[in-house]
Amino acid sequence: MKRKQTAFTCVRYLLLIIIMVFLLFPIYWMVVTALKTNMEAYLYPPTFLPEEPTTASFKSLLTTNNQFFVYYKNNFIVAGFAALFSTLIALTSGYTLSRFHFKWNKWILAALMSSQMFPVVSRMISLYGLLGKANLINTRTGLILAVVAAQVPFCVMLMSSFYDSIPRELEEAATVDGAKRFATLFRVIIPLVKPGIVAVGIYSFLMTWDDYLHAATLIQTDSLRTLSVGIALRYLGELSYDWSLVNAISVVGALPMVLLFIFFQKYMVKGLVAGAVKG
Amino acid sequence: MKQSMMTKTGKDKLFSLLLAAPAIIMTVIFILVPVVDSVIKSFTEYKIKNIISGKPGTWNNFKNYTKLFQNAKLPQAISNTFIYVLVVVIAVFILGMILALILNSGVKAAKIIQGVMMTPWVIPTVISALIWMWLFQPQYGLVKYLVSVATGGAVNDLAVLNNPKTALMGISIASLWKQVPLMTLLLLAGLQNVPEELFEAATVDGANKVQRFFHITLPSMRSVIAVAVSMSIIENFKQFPLFWTMTGGGPDGATTTLAILSYREAFVSQDLGSGAAVTTVWMLLMIVVTYFFNKAMKREETA
Repeated sequence: MKRKQTAFTCVRYLLLIIIMVFLLFPIYWMVVTALKTNMEAYLYPPTFLPEEPTTASFKSLLTTNNQFFVYYKNNFIVAGFAALFSTLIALTSGYTLSRFHFKWNKWILAALMSSQMFPVVSRMISLYGLLGKANLINTRTGLILAVVAAQVPFCVMLMSSFYDSIPRELEEAATVDGAKRFATLFRVIIPLVKPGIVAVGIYSFLMTWDDYLHAATLIQTDSLRTLSVGIALRYLGELSYDWSLVNAISVVGALPMVLLFIFFQKYMVKGLVAGAVKG
Repeated sequence: MKQSMMTKTGKDKLFSLLLAAPAIIMTVIFILVPVVDSVIKSFTEYKIKNIISGKPGTWNNFKNYTKLFQNAKLPQAISNTFIYVLVVVIAVFILGMILALILNSGVKAAKIIQGVMMTPWVIPTVISALIWMWLFQPQYGLVKYLVSVATGGAVNDLAVLNNPKTALMGISIASLWKQVPLMTLLLLAGLQNVPEELFEAATVDGANKVQRFFHITLPSMRSVIAVAVSMSIIENFKQFPLFWTMTGGGPDGATTTLAILSYREAFVSQDLGSGAAVTTVWMLLMIVVTYFFNKAMKREETA
């Protein structure tokens, strides 16, 4: 029995190590390659530790190949505004879903759930013409609107699960005191869902940071391009021989997300689990 | 008194609609209307010149559909999509479950591991594609080297993404890497909600670990599993950037999924009607799959 227990523990730790190596080694490999010279990156067999670590690729990114930072800045702008608007919409509409149970709520919920399933390309085929008519094609505004719409369904449902955890008695007490509805919502209830605001905001920021298709179809000017499309178009075609640079780009492109996650991990994890379990 | 009650419900309705309006407007204008519109466009001859001149598409007698089926592009894309979704969803579920069970079994530093393991999930998809393209790189890639060492030099020209036989598998591995963390996180939350008493009772009854897992753990996690797996099905059905960056649908159409085919038709060949036909078929398939999945999960529940 004892031996069986030990064997079980060994298998458990072995599996844990294998899966964790699978998940983490590629990240290590990205960082290490970025720190190698391009010559060393092309050594075969590869070196597992850089022989002479260098920041040359990062420097080249800052100086000669700095178009990257235009994409980077655009990505911050688009993701920032998208997160702001999705969170605001989620704050008001999520409250309705959580608190009122009129017969149309079921329909709103059904519309939100089903709209998460529709392929982005399908929407883009039509939006391309629609936004073109409104002169919003090839603008940040158009891109932000399209991206926010894509985030809204999940954000609203996520937010409403945070409202669910706040006791109704609070509103009732405030109403008895004669406070107006909007005042109650903004002064009493919303301050209590701060964790929800953080979770929804970060979720939306993350998803927009990751967007490819909206930007690929709606933006044509290079100076307005966002990160994913910019990287794929500029650095993959003409520079794909410079893998050290490509990996440096990967490190810098992923860094904000990793930092964001490290700082707000608690809220994110709670939020995702709550959103998923509710939906 | 009755009068004031009436107005209260009336005010409630107005208030709730007012608050719901932003989400409804955004969803209707930017999701529901475009989707319906693209279905209508799929029955018409609608190309980029229609957008430029502002002319509506003209009915073309299902030509978009017949053309797609005749040149075998669509059937290939459907089968690629299904193989990819099936393989990745099952693999993600199994790996995620194993990792969640281990993390829930009282290993050391479980909390830290749980945080660190999420990293692939926050790496942007295009960057994940770059990471794996570099690992799979045909001349200097690490995977080629490791496989060559592991097989004693027998396989020393492995080019995962350039070979039609292995390209889809290569992309599946990259997406597995990115998706295991979230699956683990959700399943772990489910595991932590399994009531302790059930286990104690089963242990007293002499059930071993495997029996306990299949008869207690799995059934009591049903709702979490249903949500996590259907999220994974939808996400993989929709996957685009990974394919587009890593292979662009090649080699020889081996990784052309419905997402790639529709984008190619609509925005590379600039035949939006034909692209819309692909997305319409795609949506129908997705609805059918999620319908049967949910039905299967419901039946389990009543059984």
